[in-house]
Amino acid sequence: MAGFLDGVRVLSLATGIAGPNAARMLANYGAEVFKVESRAGGLDAFRSYGDNPEASPRFVEVNLNTRSVTLNLKHPEGVALLKELATHCDVVMDNFRPGVMERLGLGPQDLLAARPDLIVVRMPGLGSTGPLSGYGTWGPTLTAYSGLTYLWNHPGQDRPVGSQGVYPDYLTGEMAPIAVLAALIERRRTGAGTVIDVAQVDLAAYMLGTTFLDVLVNERPAEPVGNDSAHMAPHGCYRCAGEDRWCVIAVQDDRQWQALCETIGAAELAADPRFATFSARARNKAELDAVIAAWTAGHDPFEVMNALQAAAVPAGVVQSGGDLAADEHLAARGFIETVTHPVLGEMRMAGLPMQFSAGGHEPYRSPPPLGADNAYVITELLGRDHAELERLQREEIVY
Amino acid sequence: MLNDLVALDLAGLQGQFTGRILADLGMRVIKVEPPGGDRCRAVGPFKDDVPDRESSLRFAFLNAGKESITLDIESADGREILLELAGRADVLIESHAPGHLAAAGLDHETLKARNPGLIVASVTGFGQYGPHAAFATTDIVAVATGGLMYISGAAGLPPVRPPETQGYYYASVFAAYGVLLALYARGSGAAGQAIDVSMQESIATQEHMIREAAFDGVAITRNGSQHKHTAPANIFACKDGHVFLFILAARDWARLLALWPDHPPELDAEELRPPHHRRAHVELINPLVEQFTSRYTKAELTTLLQESGIPCLPVNSPSDFLAQEQVLARDFLGEVSSPKLGTYSMPRFPALFNGERPPASGPPPSCGQHNTAIYGGWLGRSAAELELLAARGVI
Repeated sequence: MAGFLDGVRVLSLATGIAGPNAARMLANYGAEVFKVESRAGGLDAFRSYGDNPEASPRFVEVNLNTRSVTLNLKHPEGVALLKELATHCDVVMDNFRPGVMERLGLGPQDLLAARPDLIVVRMPGLGSTGPLSGYGTWGPTLTAYSGLTYLWNHPGQDRPVGSQGVYPDYLTGEMAPIAVLAALIERRRTGAGTVIDVAQVDLAAYMLGTTFLDVLVNERPAEPVGNDSAHMAPHGCYRCAGEDRWCVIAVQDDRQWQALCETIGAAELAADPRFATFSARARNKAELDAVIAAWTAGHDPFEVMNALQAAAVPAGVVQSGGDLAADEHLAARGFIETVTHPVLGEMRMAGLPMQFSAGGHEPYRSPPPLGADNAYVITELLGRDHAELERLQREEIVY
Repeated sequence: MLNDLVALDLAGLQGQFTGRILADLGMRVIKVEPPGGDRCRAVGPFKDDVPDRESSLRFAFLNAGKESITLDIESADGREILLELAGRADVLIESHAPGHLAAAGLDHETLKARNPGLIVASVTGFGQYGPHAAFATTDIVAVATGGLMYISGAAGLPPVRPPETQGYYYASVFAAYGVLLALYARGSGAAGQAIDVSMQESIATQEHMIREAAFDGVAITRNGSQHKHTAPANIFACKDGHVFLFILAARDWARLLALWPDHPPELDAEELRPPHHRRAHVELINPLVEQFTSRYTKAELTTLLQESGIPCLPVNSPSDFLAQEQVLARDFLGEVSSPKLGTYSMPRFPALFNGERPPASGPPPSCGQHNTAIYGGWLGRSAAELELLAARGVI
C-alpha cells in the first residue's frame, strides 16, 4: 500500500460514473476525497440503482475510499461552507453542465480567488467551451459522437452497433487524474493553481488518433473492420464448443502459423501454399477462417487458448464476467478483490491494473453512509463547535 | 508542464502510447529504437499507402513529439549506454515480454542501483507474474480476455473488437497515470517505483463485469448499444444516418412525448415513467421511437431534443467528427509538419489547462535523428567514439 497521494485533499461534486471514477482513482492512492451530496435534491443518481440509496452496489464500486459530506447548495450558507471547504482542499472536481458552478458563485475564478493554488477540474461531456458545451450527454452518446461507435462493428452492416460499455466514463477515470497530477507536479515548482477542462468526448477521440491521421493525411473515410487485421492472418474471433463461447486467435508471422498447424494436428495445412505466407493467408482469408473455425467448434474455448498459447500463438478466450471472476491468473495476481459493505455484505469486484514496487492501491473501503463525515468536516476542518453543527443540521444546511 | 523531466521510451506497439501522453504533457521523451528501427515503423496505415519507415501514420500518432536514438540494448556496449542514460532519466517505459530486460542485464535492481529515483513502467498483456504472464499477446487477445469483447457487438453476431488497439491504449493510459503517481510520490520523498501494468486487467476494470457476475449474479451479454437499465437509450435511425438518444429521467421522457404530439397513446402509460419499466418494455418502445426519429435529419433531431434538454447526439463517422463545429471550436487538431508527411493535422491532448490545449506534439522523429545530440551533446561521446559504435552496430 503506497499512499502516494497522502496529504492531497479533493472536493468532489461529481456524480454518475465518469467524475466519481476520477475522484475514486485519486482516493485509491491515498488522497482524501470529500464527496459532497445533498438530500435537498443533490444525491448521486447512482444511489438509485437498487432499492436502498445506502446500498447500491454500483454506487459503492465507483465511490470506493471516499468520504461523504452533505451540504445543501440551494441554501446560501451551504454554498459558503462548500467554498470554505474548498480552501482546505488541493483539488475541486465537478461534472455539471457548464454554468452550474458559476451560478452558485463557485466558478473556477471564484474558487481560485478563495485559494489561488487550487486545481479546479471540470469534466463536462463536450467540454466547457464551444457552441454545444451546454448539451446534455451520457457516456454512450459521447462514444457515438467521437466516431468510436461508428467503427465498433463488423464490416458491411446496415447500422451502427457499438458496445454495452461506456468507455468515455472509464477513460475520464484515469485521464482526469493524469491532468490533475501534472498540475500538482507543476504546482510544486510554480505555486500556481490550474483550471482543467476535460471534455469526455475528447478522451474517446484521443483513442482514435491513428484513424484520424489516416482520414486527414490520406483523405479517405474510415470504415469498420470488425475483427480483421491489416497485418495479421488468421486474426479473428472463432466460435467454440458451448453456448456463446468464442476464442480469439492472432497469428503474427509464419512461425506462429506453422505452430498453429502443428497444434491443430493439420500437417497438410502447414505445407499448403494457399496459407504459406501472410499475403497468401490474407488473400485466402475465407478458406483460412473456415479451416480454423472447424477446429475450434469442437473444443472448449479454454482448451483452444491453452493449446495455442502452449505453442506461443496469441490466443484468448472471449471472457464473460463470470469467466473473469473465476480467472485463476487474475486471482493469482490479487486482481479480484473483496469489499465488505455494512448492508450488502462481501462483494467481489475488479481491482486496479497497476502494481508498484511499494505495493498496490489503498485497501478498498466502502464509501460510508451519506453524511458520515459531516462532523469531521464541520468541526475539525472548518472549526465550528458542536452547537453550530447542530444548528446547520437542524436548518437543513448540512443536509 | 513536466518539461524538466526525461523519459526513455523502450516500448513497442503495446506500450508506446504511454510516452505519447507524457510528451503531450510536456515531458521530454527519448525513444530508444533498435538499430533497424522500431517495428511499429513497419505497421500501417502509411501515407499514400506506400510502406516506408518514415511514413507510418500509426507510428506518427504514437510517437509524436518524441526524440529518437538507436541503440542495441542486447549488446554489452549498448547495455552500458542504456544504464548511463537511465542514470540521467526520470522514467523508463517498456513493453517487452516479462523477463526480457532482466535477461539483457537490465532488471529493475540494476537500473535502481544506477538511479534510485528512476520510475520503470512495464506494459504487458498479462503482467509480470502469474500463471499467464508468459502468454503471447496482441490487442485482440487483451480485449477478449479482459471481457470487453464479450459485451461488444450485436446479439446475433460474433463478439466484435473495438477499433484501433484499445487494449494497448487503455493499458498505456494506466501506465501514464502510474508514472505520474510515482513522480508525485518521488517529489514527496518516495523511491523510484517499478510499475507492472496488465492489459487484460486494464480492460477488466470496465463495466462492473466482475461484480455483476460475482455479487449481483447478472451476466452482461452482447446487446448492441442498448442500455442495460433504461429506454429509449440506444442508436436510432434518422433520414441521413443515426443518433444516440438517451432518456433516463421521467422528466425527459415526458419532454420527448411533448415534442411528438402524435405519439401512440400507449406510450403515455403511467407505468412507463420509471426508467427500468421503460427498459422492460424496450421491444415496444424502441420501434415506435424510431418512427419519430426517422422524420428528421441527425442535425435537426439533435437540435430539437437538446433544446428541450434531452441528451441526443449524432453517431458520427470519424470524418463527421472532425468536421463538427464543436470540435473545431475547441482546437482538437493542431498543425504539424514533417519532411516525409508534409503538413498535417494531429489530434492533441484531450484537456485544456487554463483555457489552453497543450500544443500539438510535433512530427515523429526519424530513426536515430537525435543520436548526435544525445550521445554527443548529452553523454559527451566524441564523434570518433560514435563512429565506432555505429560501425559495430551498437547505435
